[in-house]
Amino acid sequence: MAVSPIIADGITFASALALLAFGITLLYVCTRTFNFAHASMATWGLYVMYTGVELFGGSPYQYLPLAFLFGALLGVICYVFINGPLLRRGASEVTLMMSTLGYDILLLSLIQIYCDYLTRVYKLYPRMVTMSKYDFEIFGVRAATIVSLASTIGILIALHLFLHKTRFGVAVRATIENPPLANIIGINSEIVYMTSWIIGGGLASLGGAMISMVLTGNPVMGSLIVVSMFAASILGGLFSIYGGALGGYVVGLAEYMGLYALKLSVGPWILMYRPVIPLIIMAVTLLFLPQGLAGIPWASIIEKFKGGEKR
Amino acid sequence: MIPPIVSLILSIIMECGLFTIVTLSLNLEVGFTGLPQFGRVLAVEVGAFAVGGVAARILAYMLGFSAGAKYANYNYNYRIVDAIEAVLAKNVALCVGYFILALVLAALSGAFIGWLTSRPAIRLREAYLGISLLAWGDVLMWVARNWWPLVGGTNAVHVPDPLSPISETFGGFYRFMVMSFLIFGFAILTYIYLERITKSPFGRALKMHRDCELAASVYGVDLVKLRTKCLVIGSAIAAIAGALYVIYSCTCSAYTFSRVTWTFWPWAYMMLGGTGSNAGVFVGVFIFIIIRTLINIYKVDIAELFHLPFDPIWLEYTLVGLALILIVLFKPHGLIPEKSEPIVSRKKIQEIIGETSGKKGK
Repeated sequence: MAVSPIIADGITFASALALLAFGITLLYVCTRTFNFAHASMATWGLYVMYTGVELFGGSPYQYLPLAFLFGALLGVICYVFINGPLLRRGASEVTLMMSTLGYDILLLSLIQIYCDYLTRVYKLYPRMVTMSKYDFEIFGVRAATIVSLASTIGILIALHLFLHKTRFGVAVRATIENPPLANIIGINSEIVYMTSWIIGGGLASLGGAMISMVLTGNPVMGSLIVVSMFAASILGGLFSIYGGALGGYVVGLAEYMGLYALKLSVGPWILMYRPVIPLIIMAVTLLFLPQGLAGIPWASIIEKFKGGEKR
Repeated sequence: MIPPIVSLILSIIMECGLFTIVTLSLNLEVGFTGLPQFGRVLAVEVGAFAVGGVAARILAYMLGFSAGAKYANYNYNYRIVDAIEAVLAKNVALCVGYFILALVLAALSGAFIGWLTSRPAIRLREAYLGISLLAWGDVLMWVARNWWPLVGGTNAVHVPDPLSPISETFGGFYRFMVMSFLIFGFAILTYIYLERITKSPFGRALKMHRDCELAASVYGVDLVKLRTKCLVIGSAIAAIAGALYVIYSCTCSAYTFSRVTWTFWPWAYMMLGGTGSNAGVFVGVFIFIIIRTLINIYKVDIAELFHLPFDPIWLEYTLVGLALILIVLFKPHGLIPEKSEPIVSRKKIQEIIGETSGKKGK
């Protein structure tokens, strides 16, 4: 079973991007916060994995849960000290964005400091990380592809079950739908906000750790792919968390495979313009489909299609 | 010899002037109009490339040098620019003309890019608008980094110096001094211009748009036109800052213009000084630049004093990030908050209230 490495890496990239975009969308629908700090949270995920592998050895994948926990911790800090007080004050969307922007710059500086620390104390080279050299193959496919695809789908299913089958999940959905009404019937929206930051932050770091298996890791890795994350969540529609994940897959695969197809037809110079692809997707979405993928009335389209067939 | 403290003060003046222009233009769009402009770097970049990529080429063409793709090739670029500067050093009128041409080109292309970005701004709101503006800021950066005929791609292009007569006759230091004061002068001009604009009926319409769009449209303000006008003016001013920076540094590189330096830092300066207050912008920029310069000068001493196992340069980022968070949390209106300028005085309002409540009593 041979899978072309382009397709395999594309799937890895797209799965990680789906998790990242899912986190952004979740935070946006739950707390009205468009999280700029997702960039640096993702980079922290990479460095948790890198530190684990370099200092304690083992396979990079065993540090993925740790990356999730660390991201969740970053999310909780952001909620407790920054986002929570602002939400209680009823701050505007732009103010909330600004606060996460400050948090992002703060986290970025801590990453840079940490990298300097690793360089000087442990004589490592954390500014040029290739995690893929620790990867291994399962049935001729890179483990990264299988792990990322499986964990993304697993996480999405788990979260779906959580939101639909548990009491707390229903409370979360109620808070998303109508916060004042949810408060009236006794749902503590603070806990819901906190949960969304735990999940969002954790997924950010997890996604960042996974995406580093196909990218070169450096302190600004998150800032470089943040536009892809934003494009994915915009494509998803910003109000449906599943739309965010779907958008992540579309943007990720378009970046990898669409670019590869273009390279074959136009020439290799097009590879340089890879970061422009998510921007084009974003522009087209905003112009023609401002509600995103989730805004398309899929149900009625399928209905129509079926109806047409019957007649 | 020139004492180092003099050149230090000059470089502080230069940076303050430069970032004041950028931050004032940001303040016009964010503080007065309420547009989440997270893509300030775009207009600055456009202004810079208009000088480094277009105005310099026009000059090269006029003087009979190759102005095509060869101009930006790093094998030829410095020779062409050296030759141009040799001509410029003897021709003051040409220098003035080139300087004006550069600024006008930058302002025009900035205005054009402002108009372009205003197209999505008509439909989008808050977070959506902020993200799309941020994304547009990145497009040009990627194009400029990879399409070398524009400004050299990964290599920087040199830019002919319109002040070469000064550096030729008096030396490099006097050129630096003149340039610093020139940039600061432009900052003051921008300040006066924006103070006039924001105190005019147009400025009041901007504030009305920020505070309540519905009320603005009820009073007959064309919201689309207003946003377009605001973005065009703001981007043109930011583009002039980019042009001045390129002329100051005599090089133009796609790598100079990063999102953090030209969008996020001006945001921090503006938030510290006070959004919606032009005087506040001056104060915010000044404080931040002083602190950043101090960190830069004493970074070696700081590292030795505290035995830091990292480069203290990153403390700049820590500082900016922390400052942004603390300002948003504890001082959301900044150090010099915007003054409310009621159209009707307080006394008059109290009179009216007194009259109406008196009538109710009867």
